[in-house]
Amino acid sequence: MSGIDIKNVSKAFGTTQVLDDVSLQIAPNEFIAFLGPSGCGKTTLLRMIAGLETVDAGEIHIGDRRVDDLPPGQRGVALVFQNYALYPHMSVADNMAFGLKNIGVAKDEIRRRVEDAARILELDGLLARKPGELSGGQKQRVAIGRAIVKNPDLFLFDEPLSNLDAALRMRTRLELAQLRRRLKATMILVTHDQVEAMTLADRIVVMKDRKVQQVGSPMEIYARPANVFVAGFVGSPSMNILKATIQDEGGFAVAIVAGTKIATRVPMAGLPASDHWRLGLRPECVKVSNDGHPATVEFVERLGERTLVYAKLSDGTPVTAEDAGNSRVAMGDAIHLRIDGARAHLFSGTGDGYHADEAA
Amino acid sequence: MSHASHKSLRNTLVLVTLIVLGFIMLIPLIWTVLLSLKANGELMRSTANAFHGPYTLENYIDILNNSSVFRWLMNSVIVSGLTTLGVLVLSSLAGYGFARLDFPGRDKLFLFVLFGLAIPEQAVIITRHQLFTALHLHNSYPGLILPGLAAPFGVFLMTQYFRAIPKELDEAALLDNASRFQVFWKVLLPLTLPAQATLGIFTFLASWNEYWWPLISATRSEMFTLTVGLAASQINFAQTSGLGYLMTQAVFAATPILVVYIIFQKYIVKAVSGAAAR
Repeated sequence: MSGIDIKNVSKAFGTTQVLDDVSLQIAPNEFIAFLGPSGCGKTTLLRMIAGLETVDAGEIHIGDRRVDDLPPGQRGVALVFQNYALYPHMSVADNMAFGLKNIGVAKDEIRRRVEDAARILELDGLLARKPGELSGGQKQRVAIGRAIVKNPDLFLFDEPLSNLDAALRMRTRLELAQLRRRLKATMILVTHDQVEAMTLADRIVVMKDRKVQQVGSPMEIYARPANVFVAGFVGSPSMNILKATIQDEGGFAVAIVAGTKIATRVPMAGLPASDHWRLGLRPECVKVSNDGHPATVEFVERLGERTLVYAKLSDGTPVTAEDAGNSRVAMGDAIHLRIDGARAHLFSGTGDGYHADEAA
Repeated sequence: MSHASHKSLRNTLVLVTLIVLGFIMLIPLIWTVLLSLKANGELMRSTANAFHGPYTLENYIDILNNSSVFRWLMNSVIVSGLTTLGVLVLSSLAGYGFARLDFPGRDKLFLFVLFGLAIPEQAVIITRHQLFTALHLHNSYPGLILPGLAAPFGVFLMTQYFRAIPKELDEAALLDNASRFQVFWKVLLPLTLPAQATLGIFTFLASWNEYWWPLISATRSEMFTLTVGLAASQINFAQTSGLGYLMTQAVFAATPILVVYIIFQKYIVKAVSGAAAR
């Protein structure tokens, strides 16, 4: 299996710049997720790797081959499209065999590979059917099967689960994870769904505004977001971002929010001079309690195993907190919030993130 | 009266009306077939006895033995068949080009093709006649076929149809190592079959019924198409000794087109209702 090296790649559609000097290394057998909001350039980057978009500047290498000037069929990649893109007039078996026939693979070998893929994906009984006779989940599996039979160096998935309903999405996500373990292949997944990215990928590439914002393991991205965008985008519900001033107490930053002090474990030593600090708190770090910061409940979301409480601090700052699943908190209640400052993050005026030392 | 029985009565009325209208439309056809089965001598005295015997196959036997109708039928089949094939090939290729390929002046060229829809045949017939005279194309199959191949409607229909096919299919095929032609031939073209059927049926019927240009271009009897040949026969025989024979020729001419209608009626209904154009 091959790794990928993307060097200083840029792309514009007319006068609209969609990717700006993007560089990225992907190790062999790694599962990478491109995560970002619509229009961030993640799908364009995937399509450039596949050869479906030209590269304006920069280079793309798959293994030891430079591929950015090769046609799509010669790059050794397989792409699973968001809308499956199955050939409607061909049977499931012909859909999977089409690419192999085009490169002159022997009939017996084609049949063997198609049957193998069908067995892995539980499509055995469906090989003679046309795509129009399949459910959404089955179509998705055929699209994956079409990729598998080619034994590509690199699998590309363009939002493959977005057309499935919630239950099927969860099941297919699990199947993708199992498939990945079985195939031991390099894979890139494009998604705007952070749960998909967090659960499937070895590393996540968070993108926004034509640029890579952060590359890291799911927990790294979650626990140590590089900037305020990543902090707000990854995690559901979003991280609380509160305006703060900071002061030094024993070498660590203490944030002052709405007049109250929150002691963090972020070392003062690494912090730049900035007038506009923001404190980042995941909702699980803000608990409803008998004492602590006073707040008023605006809205309550009961999720079963936990309750999300949307409240306002005394100065009107909105904050999302957590409570137990059987919480009795109701809209309009006056409550207190206990804040776990040890897991808090700080963001400077430029948006850069600062975190507690990993050992802390 | 209950709702159900009210609905049933309405359905019955609609059905009876449709049967009556259908019968009225069939009368000329039945009349033609019956006249073709009568002896010419009997028809000279009166055509009123067409609805009762005796009937004879004499006219059909005469046609099989003597007439030029076979030759004209063959000409019509060749001209309509090749025109239809040509229009389908050219319109599909042009439609694919306009819908999928990026080349300078594409949109202007497409507009230029569409202008063809607005130019009536009458406006070009004299120059076309002169051109075909200069090229010695009259009284030949190319002379009868070539004008029908310029089909702006076909190009427009196929372009719109290709545009409606998701581009991901092209991209999936390119990733599957297909060449541009394979993408067209193996992936996209099979998906345009409903449009091909619509265009093919319309083109075949229009070409089969074409009268004016074959009348101008085919001046020798052996190059007549059925329409021109039958019209020529009418001048010779109508209301004289050969009415039954003439009607037999008409039946003979109409049969292939009826067969086409019967085989493709599903597509024709779709085409007329616009359903095939999505």
